[in-house]
Amino acid sequence: MGGPGSSPCASCKLLRRRCAKDCIFAPYFPPDDPHKFAIVHKVFGASNVSKMLQELPVHQRADAVNSLVFEANARVRDPVYGCVGAISYLQNQVSQLQMQLAVAQAEILCIQMQHEPTLQSHHQVLELDQDHKALLLNNNNNINNCGNNNNNNNLGYAMSAGQFNSNFASPSSIMQMQMQMQMQDPLKQESLWT
Amino acid sequence: MNPTKRCAACKYLRRRCPKDCIFSPYFPPTDPDKFACVHRIYGAGNVSKMLQQIPVQARAEAVESLCFEAKCRVEDPVYGCVGIISLLQTQIQKTQSQIAQTQAEITIAQTQSSQFM
Repeated sequence: MGGPGSSPCASCKLLRRRCAKDCIFAPYFPPDDPHKFAIVHKVFGASNVSKMLQELPVHQRADAVNSLVFEANARVRDPVYGCVGAISYLQNQVSQLQMQLAVAQAEILCIQMQHEPTLQSHHQVLELDQDHKALLLNNNNNINNCGNNNNNNNLGYAMSAGQFNSNFASPSSIMQMQMQMQMQDPLKQESLWT
Repeated sequence: MNPTKRCAACKYLRRRCPKDCIFSPYFPPTDPDKFACVHRIYGAGNVSKMLQQIPVQARAEAVESLCFEAKCRVEDPVYGCVGIISLLQTQIQKTQSQIAQTQAEITIAQTQSSQFM
């Protein structure tokens, strides 16, 4: 915390001002990590960050700061796409994995049907619908194309991959879609910040 | 300069819109909310600086991504678009686990099938 006799926080050091006791930045920008504030200030600006923090309850400010730092780092690494490059990359990964899952589920369905001879008779022939047939036919191609796009917390690759679709759905619609598929799992992970 | 032909940014900032205004190609006057949102999160000066550091052919994409992130931040002031990234990563882990489970079931079913043959 800032105040008489104590070291100014990283923000006040950078802004070259007195660090007040109630400095809004001090809890989140300690003096031993000047880069953290520098990057946030570069992308968002100190006054914008201050306004954003003031509009939040105190218990949410640490997470807000961490997410701002994350976004600022992403924007500095990739000035054109920022975090959006990572989102695009991850969405592609989700699509590919869902396709893989559909293929695997179609395959198990096929195997299960082969083991149920009572379902087949001279008069009833069970056929896969067109979607499942197509998926089975394309099975090997799709799985092979997934490649080594492993999910990890290092989004450096994601930034440079930058598969960008300029026709974005709105953020709220993307979040709603993801939340429905999420099935009410915890939305936020501490590990994202590490 | 005809004041009615100002871009959304210059209208918002209440200033003259020069011929070489850095904002005008990307913030048409027909969509004032776009600039308002970006200005609220990043500030006009920071957006201008960022655009100046990017080649002209990439600026449209940069503006779109900035607008998207700003919208995310307005809708979720704590996590912004990082919340979406977190959701996607969780979804990826879940789907990978489902794939592994299904593939294990396939292996078991195939083994059982070959035993009966």
